[in-house]
Amino acid sequence: MTFISPWFLLGLLGIAIPVYLHLYYRKTPVQKEFPSLRLIKLSVEFVARRKKIRNIILMTLRILTVVLVVMAMARPFLGSSASAAADAQAPSAFVVLLDNSMSMSSVDKGISAFNSARSKALELIDQMTENDRATVGFVNEPGRLGYSQLTWDKEALKKIISDSKISAGGTDLASSLLPALKLLSPLKTHKKAVFLITDMTESSWRPFLERYDIAETDKSIDLIVVPMGAQAVDNTAVTDLRVESPIVMTGKKTLVKAQIANYSKQAKKIRAVFAINGERKSERDLEVEANSEKETDFEVVFAQSGMNRIALSINSDALPADNERHAALRVFDPCKILIVKPENVPGAPENKEDLFVKFALNPLAKSKDNSFITESRSANELNNVDFKRYAALILINQRHLSADVLKRLSEYLMGGGNLITFLGDRTEPEWYNENLTDNLGSSYLLPARLFKRVGNAVSKSVYYRLTDLDLGHPAFNIFEKEENGDPSRARIYEFFQVKPNSSAIVLCRMSHGFPGIVEEKRGAGKSLLVTFSADTKWTNWPVRPTWLPFLHQTLISMITSKEATVKNIKSGMPVSITLMQKDAGKLKIVLPDETEISPSSNNGHKGVLHLTVTNTEQAGYYEIVSDRLGVLTAFAVNPPAAESRLEKINMREIPRFIPLKDEPGKRTVKDKVSVLRNGYDLSGISLIMLVLLAIAENFLANKPAKKRTE
Amino acid sequence: MSKSGSISKYLDPELLAKLSAMEVKSRAAVEGMIEGLHKSPVKGFNVEFSEYRQYVPGDSLRDIDWKVYARTDKYYIKEHEEETNLSGYVIMDTSGSMSYKGSGKTSKLDYAATLAASLSYLMLRQQDSVGLVTFAEGVRRIIRPKTGMPHLKVICNELEMTKPENTTSIGESLDAVGQIMRKRGVFIIFSDLMDNAELVISKLRQLKKRRHEIVLYHVLDRDEISFPFDDTTVFKDLEDKSEIITDAFTLKHEYLRRIRHMVNTYKSALRKSGIDYLLADTSISPEINLRSFFTRRQSYNLWGDR
Repeated sequence: MTFISPWFLLGLLGIAIPVYLHLYYRKTPVQKEFPSLRLIKLSVEFVARRKKIRNIILMTLRILTVVLVVMAMARPFLGSSASAAADAQAPSAFVVLLDNSMSMSSVDKGISAFNSARSKALELIDQMTENDRATVGFVNEPGRLGYSQLTWDKEALKKIISDSKISAGGTDLASSLLPALKLLSPLKTHKKAVFLITDMTESSWRPFLERYDIAETDKSIDLIVVPMGAQAVDNTAVTDLRVESPIVMTGKKTLVKAQIANYSKQAKKIRAVFAINGERKSERDLEVEANSEKETDFEVVFAQSGMNRIALSINSDALPADNERHAALRVFDPCKILIVKPENVPGAPENKEDLFVKFALNPLAKSKDNSFITESRSANELNNVDFKRYAALILINQRHLSADVLKRLSEYLMGGGNLITFLGDRTEPEWYNENLTDNLGSSYLLPARLFKRVGNAVSKSVYYRLTDLDLGHPAFNIFEKEENGDPSRARIYEFFQVKPNSSAIVLCRMSHGFPGIVEEKRGAGKSLLVTFSADTKWTNWPVRPTWLPFLHQTLISMITSKEATVKNIKSGMPVSITLMQKDAGKLKIVLPDETEISPSSNNGHKGVLHLTVTNTEQAGYYEIVSDRLGVLTAFAVNPPAAESRLEKINMREIPRFIPLKDEPGKRTVKDKVSVLRNGYDLSGISLIMLVLLAIAENFLANKPAKKRTE
Repeated sequence: MSKSGSISKYLDPELLAKLSAMEVKSRAAVEGMIEGLHKSPVKGFNVEFSEYRQYVPGDSLRDIDWKVYARTDKYYIKEHEEETNLSGYVIMDTSGSMSYKGSGKTSKLDYAATLAASLSYLMLRQQDSVGLVTFAEGVRRIIRPKTGMPHLKVICNELEMTKPENTTSIGESLDAVGQIMRKRGVFIIFSDLMDNAELVISKLRQLKKRRHEIVLYHVLDRDEISFPFDDTTVFKDLEDKSEIITDAFTLKHEYLRRIRHMVNTYKSALRKSGIDYLLADTSISPEINLRSFFTRRQSYNLWGDR
């Protein structure tokens, strides 16, 4: 048998007190004659009444004494935590989760929330005894655990905490809390706890509480939160920066939209500065109401094609990290589109099957200041044409193409070109299948094999509609909104029945189920097959209002998708980029703080290079640079807008979590944790109370000797 | 003195020698046949002139001062004061409780008897008459007041012979004494007053109303005043022989409160009625108790004999 507090055994000496008193006062009654018992009897009557009350008190005291004896033996612990209820001897296993999200970078009265949190984390780790096990995690987006296993190595954990940095990410409580719970849950012989050191922002807790039922988590694990910062500080932020137009061309006016938020209790005048590639382009003063967001836009013209860095910044405040927002924007020179129309038949009028496509892409036949510059040629005019000069090729109702053209087409497509093929009455399915697919082997051009023609464009008695539109595809995405029209209203009188290749996707079907438009990624390029004509012979779509946006969207999606464009991403998220190996050369990544790192990459098949960037914790502009071709692509990392809202959540709304408030000058976190983990050991108090009760009981029962000498 | 010292164990020659200068004086007038130290309530002749008062029917015609009548044509009676001897009654409680000896050498009865014998001696010496009444449940023995030293032996003998027994019934005893003692005099009562206080006080007041002068010696043993018992004790009543077992310690506070209350009640109530109350603690020398008796009586004389 062992005792946690063996010195309490000294309390056994206290037994001597009642024993002594008992023996001292317990004597056999003595006989005594007395003149008259009149007064004695009256006194006895009176005292007996008083004694009755005293006896009740005595009985209560004795019952309490017994209760305390039992309690003291049962080693009572008083504590709200599960650890306190556990065996006091049990070692501890705990996870310290340190919030290093962007909101923790706030500075209030010169004190950085993150630095305070870090010191609290170190204090917690300091409490590890040699039998304890712990690990450290970070609460940001995506959260992670420093060690995926619990460790005894206190110094290693302290180093992780000391080396930790603030991230530009949001707060994803689940991403680190759930693994922490999973890690602790199987342990049976430990006191288990998760310490979460966070700034308690409502924006981070609310989604977490809505999604997860913390009350149902493992009850044997204590969830302890160490809130940082007593109250929310005022904050202003740039919460959005975007370009809504699908493609940005050089020389064209582009609208850049921004959103500025004022999360404080009074209206604020905010100066917003817009810059392109570090050069200040525009600035304005905005009055933003208290606790509201304001949208503003800047009309800018991009002079430089390729990747452009745009940024909007506002005046600095307590949380500087969200006062600037970046975006990476690829700006295109006007796209050249080569339309290959059917050959003119001698003696017949000029073939104008390309009319509707041309008109849709460049109605005024402009040679500049238009998104698309179109050029129409017939198949026999393609001999000396360098396809690579064109962003896309559109084949319209071709009968035959020379082997040389087919070979160059194949190279163009596999090297990143875009091919759109419209079929028609001149199309011979067998020739197409043989020459555009079979003979080219793996470098085939068409995403589907052609079969028979369906319908009758001459009688037009029966028509088909486009159904099952793939609204998730960029080509049809615009039609998701009803006001943008409905391509399924177009009538298709005749089309080719096709069988899509295994890796092709069907963008829409005919009303009876045959594929209507099929797309397949070919090498670095894309090939799209439209199973009907590009003019009004087989369909009335070219004269419907949805024709133009369809063509525009399709081309933009094809052109932009092949660029290694990366949308603005969240901090800490890995970024995957696919590049053509021949473009790559020697690659480097330039981080926002101008440091350069080499990317990890692996070679895919067909000359494709997959690049992964994992160091995306900093907010700002990242560039992937090739030593041969300069900036290949770029992307921007911004903190999530929600992270700028610093309002605190009320602790009462959070179930299970025990708050461990840090009050300067009072009990330290270490002491508090100790109390929380071990609870209040009541055995000592019980014993002290027991001794006091014993003395009180003896006093009441016998009265102290001092008074007896009166 | 040496002669009287051999009379009784209650007469201590040394004590009497110390008290020899003392006189037992009555605070009020007393009736007596022999001229003595005390004022007589009987206004008469050949004695010192006191005052004139108007004649009222019933007055003896012999007392009318005719000379004054001749001058004023009104009947006046000439009153005189004469000195008489004192009739003292020693009334002794001889109930069982008086036999209590406590931790001292003498029992309450012995102590009271010493005081009584000494006072009797002093009174007889100054030509006063002294009688004795012993009582317990009722009056046990009455010795009529007589003058002369030989009577002291009778009183002392009776005190020595009386054995304390039975319960106390002061009320009844005082009633009986009041009936027997018609002549006004000084009643010196020795008792531990183990009876109903209200009854005792009312009976004493009745006696007082009959113009008796009353001195009450409340005889208590030291044990009764301080209750020096701590243990669980079986107390046995000396009067009715009943027993009670109790924790003396827990009782002590309440007992002392009650005894104090009893003493204070007697003291204040009797003083208001003009009755002398003297607490006779048996642990204190009889001389001190007697001196306090005389001191008190001297002070009354200083105030003009009331």
